Amino acid sequence: MRESTIMKIHYGTALGAVALVAVHILMRLTQSFAESLEYTNVIANYQFLPYAGMLEIILILLSIHGFNGLRVILLELKQGPRYEKAVSYGCVAAMMGLIAYGSRTIIMVNMGML
Amino acid sequence: MKPQDENKEGIGGMINPRRYGIERVAYLLMRLSGLGLLAYFIGHIYETSSILKGQVGWNEFLDLTQTNEGHALLAIVIAMCVFHTVNGIRVMLGHGGVGVGKPSRPDYPYDPASQNMKHKIGIYSAIVLAAIAMMYGLAVMYGE
Repeated sequence: MRESTIMKIHYGTALGAVALVAVHILMRLTQSFAESLEYTNVIANYQFLPYAGMLEIILILLSIHGFNGLRVILLELKQGPRYEKAVSYGCVAAMMGLIAYGSRTIIMVNMGML
Repeated sequence: MKPQDENKEGIGGMINPRRYGIERVAYLLMRLSGLGLLAYFIGHIYETSSILKGQVGWNEFLDLTQTNEGHALLAIVIAMCVFHTVNGIRVMLGHGGVGVGKPSRPDYPYDPASQNMKHKIGIYSAIVLAAIAMMYGLAVMYGE
């Protein structure tokens, strides 16, 4: 993929994440901070489908943005065909691993598999 | 054969905030905050997965974060998040050609048109907003 396309994805995921993370944080402020983190409240959040969907989208957006950012930093430090390939594939693998792990939590709690 | 100096400074050169003014400091802070936020994000995903262990598992993990150290860490995360967002928007606007001045012939003393007052104000604003958000976050966490 062209670097210009990757940077557009990087900026797009950043803007999307800013909007959705703002909603995620505002949900913590609807009650007192400690109260919003109580087990029953958190379970209720996960089992509310639109909110769970939003968490999944945040997970995907931030994973793409975060690991692409890491890739950019690592490629600034050192260059070379083999190194660049290893960094790019490593970041994609880590991104997919994190999305899979986070999705597992969201899906299992949303479906009541506790 | 004598090895040639390729003028590569590696990480030392990358993290050196001197020589190039506030723009260089912003470059460094952007990368540090990005790495910090990625580390926090991975930790947050792991932390929230403890809900699968039921109420006891969730409360045990929550107790680890609801300490003065946990609140201090979260306050730093808030500051990094706000700085990264505000400075990121400045960088995006700059890449889109907003606020970087008009192209002109490079004449002595070669002041880059893109490193102008608008962008410097953007960087200082990002730092100030990050500090304010950090204070607000601490007030919320301590329930004041």
